[in-house]
Amino acid sequence: MPTGDGAVPPAAELVGVTKRFGDVVANDGIDLAIARGEVHGVVGENGAGKSTLMSILYGLHRPDAGHVLRDGRRVRLRSPADAIAHGLGMVHQRFRLFPELSVAENVVIGAEPTRRGMLDLAAAGREVERLGELYGLRADPRARVGRLPVGVRQRVEILKALYRGARVLILDEPTAVLTPGEAARLFEVLRTVTRSGVSVVLVTHKLGEVLTATDRVTVLRGGRVTGRFTTSGTTAAELVVAMIGRSPAAAPARRSPTAERAPYALEVDGLTVRDRDGVVRLAGVSFGVRPGEIVGLAGVAGSGQRELVDAVTGLRTPGPGDSGRVLLSGRTVRGGREPDVAYVPEDRHGRGTAAAMSLRENLVMGDQRSSALRGRFGLSSSAVRDRARALVESFGIRAASVDAPISTLSGGNAQKAVLARELSRPVGVIVVEEPTQGVDVGAQEMIHGLLAEARDRGRAVLLQSSELTELRALSDRVLVLYEGRLVAEVPGDEATDERLGAAMTGAPASADAPRTPPADDTSVAGVEP
Amino acid sequence: MNAGPGGAGRRAARRLAPAAPAALAVAGALGLTTVVMVLAGIDPARAYPALVNGALGDGNLEYTVGAFVPTLGMALAFAIPLRAGEFNLGGDGQMALGGITAAALTLAAPLPAVAGVALPLTAAALAGALAAGISAPLHTRLGIPAIVTTLLISTPAVSLASYLVRFPLAERGTGIAETPVLPDAAHLPSIGDSGYVTIGLPLVLFLTAAWLYLDGRTVIGYETRATGLNREFARYGGVRVDRLALTALAGGGACAGLVGGLIVLGPPYRFVDGALTAPGYTFTAIAAVLLATGRPPAVPFTAALMTILQVGGEGMERDAGVPGQLTQIVQGLVIVIVAVMATVRHLRVRRSRPGGRGRDGVAPQAREAGA
Repeated sequence: MPTGDGAVPPAAELVGVTKRFGDVVANDGIDLAIARGEVHGVVGENGAGKSTLMSILYGLHRPDAGHVLRDGRRVRLRSPADAIAHGLGMVHQRFRLFPELSVAENVVIGAEPTRRGMLDLAAAGREVERLGELYGLRADPRARVGRLPVGVRQRVEILKALYRGARVLILDEPTAVLTPGEAARLFEVLRTVTRSGVSVVLVTHKLGEVLTATDRVTVLRGGRVTGRFTTSGTTAAELVVAMIGRSPAAAPARRSPTAERAPYALEVDGLTVRDRDGVVRLAGVSFGVRPGEIVGLAGVAGSGQRELVDAVTGLRTPGPGDSGRVLLSGRTVRGGREPDVAYVPEDRHGRGTAAAMSLRENLVMGDQRSSALRGRFGLSSSAVRDRARALVESFGIRAASVDAPISTLSGGNAQKAVLARELSRPVGVIVVEEPTQGVDVGAQEMIHGLLAEARDRGRAVLLQSSELTELRALSDRVLVLYEGRLVAEVPGDEATDERLGAAMTGAPASADAPRTPPADDTSVAGVEP
Repeated sequence: MNAGPGGAGRRAARRLAPAAPAALAVAGALGLTTVVMVLAGIDPARAYPALVNGALGDGNLEYTVGAFVPTLGMALAFAIPLRAGEFNLGGDGQMALGGITAAALTLAAPLPAVAGVALPLTAAALAGALAAGISAPLHTRLGIPAIVTTLLISTPAVSLASYLVRFPLAERGTGIAETPVLPDAAHLPSIGDSGYVTIGLPLVLFLTAAWLYLDGRTVIGYETRATGLNREFARYGGVRVDRLALTALAGGGACAGLVGGLIVLGPPYRFVDGALTAPGYTFTAIAAVLLATGRPPAVPFTAALMTILQVGGEGMERDAGVPGQLTQIVQGLVIVIVAVMATVRHLRVRRSRPGGRGRDGVAPQAREAGA
C-alpha cells in the first residue's frame, strides 16, 4: 500500500477495518491510506461498503476490528465530535444546514465566536470571508442559505468543515445534486483546498469524476478492496472491472425505427403550473411522447420536473392558477392517480413503497381494486400471493419471502419490485424518475434493459434522470427544463454533457431551443423533433 | 397458511411469538408496580389476590364483563382510525354526545320495543361519528393533526352533554345532574340475572369481528393500512386517502358514540352526568390498543386484560384498602414499556443497517402503533 511520501505518514489511515451488521460483512479487513494533500477517490457499487467505511472514519460506526490513524497516530473515534476534534470533516449527501440562517451563522454553528458572551456575527462574517479567500470558496456571509443555489450551499458545508479545522475532508457523492458546471467548479475548489495540505476523500460511483478529479483511487467490492490505482495510470474500463468483477454488458440499443410517426400516446399541451404561493413552476410546457420511444427529461433539481410528473400521473390536483392539459391518447388527465400511466417514482421510500408492508402487499398497490385480485370475500390473499410470486420470479427480485417487509430488501431489489409492479401494468405510458438511483451496476443494467424492452413493446416512456449518461444511453430525445420552461430538445445521440449542461443552467438559447408555444397559446400541441 | 411439515408445536410457537412483547410489557409493569407497592408499605401478597378476586371473584365477574363492553368498544374507537394513521383521543366527547343523543331521542319520542333500542343506538353512533369526523377535513384540508383536534373537540362535547343533562333534560328534584329514567322499551335486554351484562356484549363482539374481517381481508382494510403506514404511497397507489381518513375517524367515532348509547340504555337506564367519562374507558382502551402493538386480533384480549386490571383495582381498594390508583400506575407503565420497546427496536434496526441513516421523521412509536 503506497502511503504517499515514505517519510510523512498519511493524513488519515484505516488499518484492517472490519465491520459486521448481523451476518453481513460490510467491511472486511480494509486498508486505506489518504496522503496529505491528495484527492483520494473511493468508488464501488451500492453495498460495496463505501458508506460504512466513511461512517467509521467519521466516528458514526465503530469497527469490529482494525483502527484509524491520523498523521500516523492511532485515534479513537467514538462520535462525529471526536472525528471533528481530530481534524476530520464530512460533507453529507444531504446538506445539514439551516435554510433560515445566514451563511456565516451556518458556518460557525456549534463553535461560534463570541464577544463578552454574545455571538459575534461580525467576526463570523470575517472568518467566512477569510476562509473563502484562502480556499477559493467564495460565499456572501450575510446571504440566507435557503435562497442560495445548491452548488453554493455545498460550498457552505465545505466551509463549515474547514472552519472546524478539518484537515481531511470526506465528500459523500458530492455531485449527485449538482449540474455539470457546478461539479466542475467543485473540483476546482477541491484542487485549491488540497494545495494547502488538506486531504479530500471523494466517495462516488461516477467514474468520469474519479478520472478527472482524483489523484488516487481505491475500489471496493463486497466489503473488500479490489483495486488500488493511480488515477493518471488507469482507465474507466479497468475501474469498472474492479468494481463489478467483470466487463459490463453493452448498453441496450436505441429504439426501433417503426414508431416514427405514430400519434402521441402522451401529450402535454401548454401546461402551466403554479405552486401555492402563486409562483410559476411550469410555464407553457408542451411536448409529446410517441409509442415506442423514450423521451428523456433533464434539468437541475427543482426545474419543474416534479410538477410535470405529478401532472402527468394525476397526482397533482390542478390549482386555480394552472392551465394547459395532459392528454393520454387524446383523453384529458384529471386529478387523482391516473390509472393509465405506470409510474416509477424517484422517492422509493416516501412514495414508491411502504417500508413496513410486506413485499406482497407492495407489489399489488394500485391494482388492489382489480377483479383479478378479488376473492369471494374481499381481497383474495391467494391471488395476491400468486401475483407477487410471479413478479418476483419474472423480474428476479431477491427476497427471503413475499411475506417479508419490503424494507428487508436491498435497494436494488426494492427498486426492481417497484419496476416490476409498474411495468407489469397493461398501460401504454410509463413515467420513470431516477430509475437507477441507489442501485448497483448489475441492477442498473437490468433496469435499463427493462426500459428498453418496454419501449420495444411500443410503450411511450418519459424518463426523468439526473444521470446524463443514463439519459444519453436510453433516450431517443432529451428535453431540458430550466426554471419551469422547456429550453431545449436534443436528439439522444447528440446529447453531450456540454450541450445538456449548458441548457440545464439556462445558457442563452441556441439551435436547441424547441418551438415551445407561449403559455397562452394552446393551439400547438407537442414539439416536433 | 404456511404450515410446514414441522407440525402443530412449531406453528403454535410462531403464533404466540408476536405476543411476547405484550407479555413482557405487562410482566414488567406488574414488577415495577410491586416495587411501588413495597415502597408504599403495601403487602403485594394481599394486594394481588384482592385484585384478582375483585375482577373475577364471586359476583364480580358479571360486573367485569359489563365493564369489558365499553372498554372494547372504546378500543375500536381508537384502533380503527389508528390503522389509517389518525389518532383519536376524543373518545370521551364522542361517547358523551352519543349517550346524550340516545337519551334525548328516547325521552322526546318514546318508541316501541325493538325500535326503542335500535334507533337511539343508531343515533348515538351517528352523533359520535359526526364528532370524530370533523377532525378528518381539519387534518386533510387544513393540516391540523387529528390527535390535536379530537382532543380539543372532546372537552366542549363533554360540556355540551353536561349542560343538556343539567338543564333541558334534567330530572327535577333529585339534586343529581341526571335525566329521568328512560321508558322501559328503551332498556337494553340483559343477559343473565344481574343486568350488568346486556346485549351490548354480543353487539360489540360482532363489531370487533366485523372490523377484524374488514381490516385483514378486504380492499378497504388493505388501503387503510397502506394509508396509515405511508400516506403518500397510498395516494400514489390511487387510494383516496382523504376520504379514507374521514371513514376511519367517523367509524371510530361511531363506536365511541355507540358505547355512550349502550351505557345510557343499560342500568341505571338514564344519562347521569359524568357517569360515562368517570370510569376512564377511553384511556384504558388506548392502553389496550397500544399493548396490542399493531396486531388487531390481539385487541379483544388486551382490552379484557385492561378491564380486569381496572375492575380488579376497584376491588383491591375495597377489600385490601389498597389505593385503586395503583392500577393506573400499571396501565401507565404498560404504555411506557411498550413505547420504550418500540423505540429500542427501531434504533436497533437502524443501527444494524449499513449506512445507518434514518430516512424519515416518523416517531417509532407512531409507526409501531400503526403497523
